[in-house]
Order: sequence, then C-alpha cells, then structure tokens
Amino acid sequence: MSDGETGAQRGVRADFWFGFGLTALGLVVTFESWRMPRLAELNVNPMTAPGLVPGMVGIVLTVLGAVLCARAARAGGWRMPNRASRDHGTDGDLARQTGRFFVALALSVGYAAGLVGSLPFWAATGIFVFLFVVIFEWRGTRSLASLVRAVFMAALLAVIVATAVTFVFEQVFLVRLP
Amino acid sequence: MPDGLQFFLAALVSFAEPATLFTIVWATLLGITVGMLPGLTATLGLALLTTLTFRLDAGSAILILICMYVGAIFGGSRSAILLNIPGTPANAASALDGFPLARAGHAGHALGLATVASFFGGIVGMLMLALIAPVLAEFALKFGSPEFFWLALFGIVISGRLTAADDPVKGWIAGFLGLLAAMVGQEGIHAYQRFSYGNSDLAGGFGLLPVLVGTFGFAEILQVMKNREYKTVRGVGDRILPRLRDLRDNARNILRSGLIGTFMGLLPGVGEDMGAWASYAAARRASKHKEKFGKGSIEGLIASETGNNAAVAGAIIPVLTLAVPGSAPSAVLLAAMFIHGIRPGPLIMIEFPSFVFEVVAMVFAASVAVLILGLALTRPLLLVLQVPRERLMPVIFVLCTIGAFAIASRIFDVWVMLGFGVIGFLLREMKYPMAPLVLGIVLGPILDKNFRRSMVLSDGSIEPFFTRPISAVLAFITIAVVCMAIPPIRRRILGLLSVFSFRRSKS
Repeated sequence: MSDGETGAQRGVRADFWFGFGLTALGLVVTFESWRMPRLAELNVNPMTAPGLVPGMVGIVLTVLGAVLCARAARAGGWRMPNRASRDHGTDGDLARQTGRFFVALALSVGYAAGLVGSLPFWAATGIFVFLFVVIFEWRGTRSLASLVRAVFMAALLAVIVATAVTFVFEQVFLVRLP
Repeated sequence: MPDGLQFFLAALVSFAEPATLFTIVWATLLGITVGMLPGLTATLGLALLTTLTFRLDAGSAILILICMYVGAIFGGSRSAILLNIPGTPANAASALDGFPLARAGHAGHALGLATVASFFGGIVGMLMLALIAPVLAEFALKFGSPEFFWLALFGIVISGRLTAADDPVKGWIAGFLGLLAAMVGQEGIHAYQRFSYGNSDLAGGFGLLPVLVGTFGFAEILQVMKNREYKTVRGVGDRILPRLRDLRDNARNILRSGLIGTFMGLLPGVGEDMGAWASYAAARRASKHKEKFGKGSIEGLIASETGNNAAVAGAIIPVLTLAVPGSAPSAVLLAAMFIHGIRPGPLIMIEFPSFVFEVVAMVFAASVAVLILGLALTRPLLLVLQVPRERLMPVIFVLCTIGAFAIASRIFDVWVMLGFGVIGFLLREMKYPMAPLVLGIVLGPILDKNFRRSMVLSDGSIEPFFTRPISAVLAFITIAVVCMAIPPIRRRILGLLSVFSFRRSKS
C-alpha cells in the first residue's frame, strides 16, 4: 500500500503558501493605501481620502491571509513534500495534467497576446484553432492514420471557424475585431 | 398591481411576432447548449452574448440575455443526468439523483422530469419576481448611504459564507480579492487614480466583462483541458414525457423548492447552486423515502431542478430593485442593463415601471421555451455532448478573446481576461468559490462610494452606520454571519442560547 502524498496534504501546503502570499499582499495594499494623498490641502474631509477603503480591504486581506496561513501551518502545511513517500502513479497523472494545462495555456496566451494584433484576425484564429486541435489530438492518437485524420479535421475546423467567426462578428453583429 | 398585469400582458403580446419568437427560440437553445457543455457556464454565456448584443435595442438585448440565462441553468441538467458532470455549478445537486436514474435505464424519464421541474421553478420564481420586486423597490427608497454600504458588505459576507460552506475563510478571501480588484483605477469622488502607477489602462480599472470572461471562460478552458476527457454520452431509450402522477405527487415539493430557490436567489451573490442545494436538503427532510436520496430519487431531482431555476428569477429581484446581483450570471445581466441605459435600483419603479414586468414576461417566455425545446429536442440536443473538447475549447477561446475586446476595443482587456483566467484557475484549484469574487468586483464601487459619502454627511462619525434602523439591522446580520462562522464564538453563542431556552422551559 502506498503512503504517497494525498490531495488533502497538497491542499494544506497550498493554503499555507497562499495564506503567506495573501498576508504579504494585504500588507503591501495597506502600505500603498496609506501612501495615497489625503488631499488636506484641498480641505477634503480625511474620512473621504482615496486610500481609506483600499486600506481597510488591505487590512482584512492581511487578517484573512494570516488566519489561512496559521491554520495550514498547524496542519503541517509548512513541511516540504517527502520525495521518498511519493506515489509514482499519482505523480505521473499529475505530470500529465500539468503538461496539458501548460500546453493549453501556452497556445491560448500565444494566440491572444501574440498572434492577435500582429496578423489579420482570421489568419490568427485559423492558425490557433489548427494548432490547438492538432496538438491535443496528436497527444491522444497512436497510429499514423488517426494523426492524418486529426490534421485534416483540424485544418477543416480552422478554415470554418476563422471564416465564420470573422464574418458573423464583423458583418452580422457589427463588432470590431482585434 | 393591475398596472403590473397590464405591463406584463402588453410585453407578452409584443413577443408574439415571428422575429421575437425566433429570438426567444435561438437564445434559449443557445443557452441550453452552453449549459449542457461541461466547462461552459451561464455566466460565460451571458458575458459573451452581452458583447454580441450591445448594439441591439435594450429590450431585445435583455430578452436574449434572460433566455440565455434560463436556458443555460436548465441545460446543465442534461450533462448532470447523463454524464454525472454538472453542466453548470447550479446542476451539481441534480447529478446526485439524475445520474443513478440514468444508469438504471431511466435517462429519458429523468430528463423529462428535470425539464418540467425547471419550467415550474421558472414559473414560481417569475410569480415571486412580480410580487416582490415592486415591494422591495419601494422599501429600498428608504436606503441611504449607510444602508447601501452594509448591503454591499453583507452581500460579500453572505456569499462567501454560503458558497464556501465548508470553509468560509476561503469564500471571504475570494470576496475581498474581488473588492481589491474593484479598487484599481480612478475612484468616483476625487478622481484619484488608485494603484495605477501612471498607466492609463490601469487608470480605467478592470472592466467587469473581461474579468468575467477570464474567470468563467478562460479558467474553465484551462480546467477542462487539464482534466481527463469525459466520456461521451449514450442514447436515451425510454419515455421522456413525465407521467402526470409524478407531478401530482410532487406538487408540494415543487412549490416548496420554488420558494426556497427564489429566496436563495434573492440573497446577494448566493445564486442558483445554493438554490438547488437548499431545495434538495429541504425535500430530503420532508420526504417519506429519505433512503432513496442520492440513489435515484425523483423527489430529489425535481427539488434541485425546481430550486435552481426559481433562483434565476430570484437573483434578478435584487438586480432590478437594489442594483445588487443575486448570482454571478445576474452580475452580467446588471452590467448589460447599465450598458443599455437602464438604471436598475430603488428608483426603477418610478423611472422604468414597465421594465420590471417586461422582465417578468421575459422569464415566462424563456421558461415556456425551455419546456417546449427541452421536451421536443431531448434526443437531438444530445449530439452537442458528442463534440470532443479538443475541437470545442479553441472555438470557445476565440469567442472569449472577442468578448473581452469588443466592448471597449482595448487590447488591455484581452490581457485582463488572460490574467484573471489564470488567477481564476488557480483559485478554483485551491477550492475558492468564484461567486464572491465577482460580487466583490461588482459591489466594490458601491461599498467605497457609499462609505465615504456617508462619512461626509455625518462629518466623520460612524454613528449612522449603527443607529439608523435599517442600517443597524443589516449591520447586526452581517456581524452575526461572521461571528457564527468562527467556531469558538459560535459555540459560545449556541451555549448561551441553550441556557436561555432551558431557563424559559423551566419557568
């Protein structure tokens, strides 16, 4: 029987570090709010100063972050994962999930922050849809025939989506595209 | 009220045109499709459609959005029953009994019951909307700045408490992070640019729609692509039309769930998922067959589907009367109303008296469309669930990009969508609810402006926050909700209450 790290343990560790980061964020927000002008030279009531409410939000975030951090620390969230007790099955599954996440993230950011604006919208969309479908279907295919089918489907979908989306948004709904 | 009935009937008559009927059908069908697909929520559907419809007239745009809203909350029941994956968070309770029914070979029966329950939920919610909204709007005329401050704070506190029932701290963190996001940009009293550091884009603040498209669209895409693929659906072989006996036996269940769902919808930021869970829990308590719950109980399925659809109309009540959203999708509806020049809030019954009843008629039309389309198109609609996620998600992301950009034509909004998408994904992974985050962003300016305005009026005294009657009640409820979530304080209070009740019973 494996005594690998459970999801609950990972959750407690995530809570600890997130609570720590949130406390720091709360302190920064409170400090930055304090630095905001009080506009006293304009005879403004100090209780309407722009930094008042953000400062209160910063204090509440600091308290909530500290509560989360302290609670997770009591449950052992500050401990680093023990490499010796790792469950390779779970780790492999996690690695695959992380891989899929980063591929989806990279493709999406590459499209929205890279291709869009640099190329005509229809071209950027076509390239993105084609790459997304091919990469994800290729990761799941085993034979050459299914890969060829995936490429064909991806190209077809890319052409349809690029044409239809550009036409419908620009001509029917009169929306300006990036 | 006769005026209300007149406005309602006039609105219904105006819908009886081919173009409007066609709009109701396509928007509801689109809503059902969005709701059915795991990873696409009602909030995302509404946010994307707001972008598409912002050049239409106000009446048509709001009609489309309400049909999308009602359709999506209903549509989520399809995947909950057939795949055990709720299409939207509001349908999680439906999966508990819907999926066991489907596995036992009664998928068609379960889908039919869910459709009829959704329709009745919509009708109960609609009646409550027509009855409560005018009264609440009149009552809200008594609200001043301190009351609006407490209402905003109460919304964040109750939303955080109820949407993260196991860990309210996480709900409140999400709510206050939303408030923090709302603080970025030029504030409304002295026009000071907070947290902008000379950046003109940041000075404009984060737009609600790009934030929503990020947290509900891009974050969901990342989540869906990260997880293992869901199994595509089997066919439905049995009878879909529900038996009259099932409905007759559940008449009380439907009425109770409809009322509970509406009430949960009314609470700021609590929404449809809590409407379903609270109705489900009440149905279980009242049932003679408690043991069947979770194993294919018809009562359980009817309660959750009635509850979540009643909560849709319930969530619209505070949108119209207080300009405070009852749920995440209704926050988008609120934003859309502002875009179209409608000013929801306490003055709505004075400035736009007919609009409230037009919205009632829109909920009615959408509920009828759900009933007809849900029963007639059960089998064809299942084709939607057979689209592989690898082909669907890139198309959704293209729509998210357009949705974030189109309202203000700012590339900065696309960056906001990406940033909030990643933040939303990480928060979800750590089990933080999204509704308080959205509510924090919507209520941030209300809380900020009303707190400072009240301080000006009282010359820096916090006394009105606790001495004005409505304000004092809201303050008491807000503080009580916080105190009851802290275990040592809760134990102390419950201990005191039990001693008090023991003494009373002895005397």
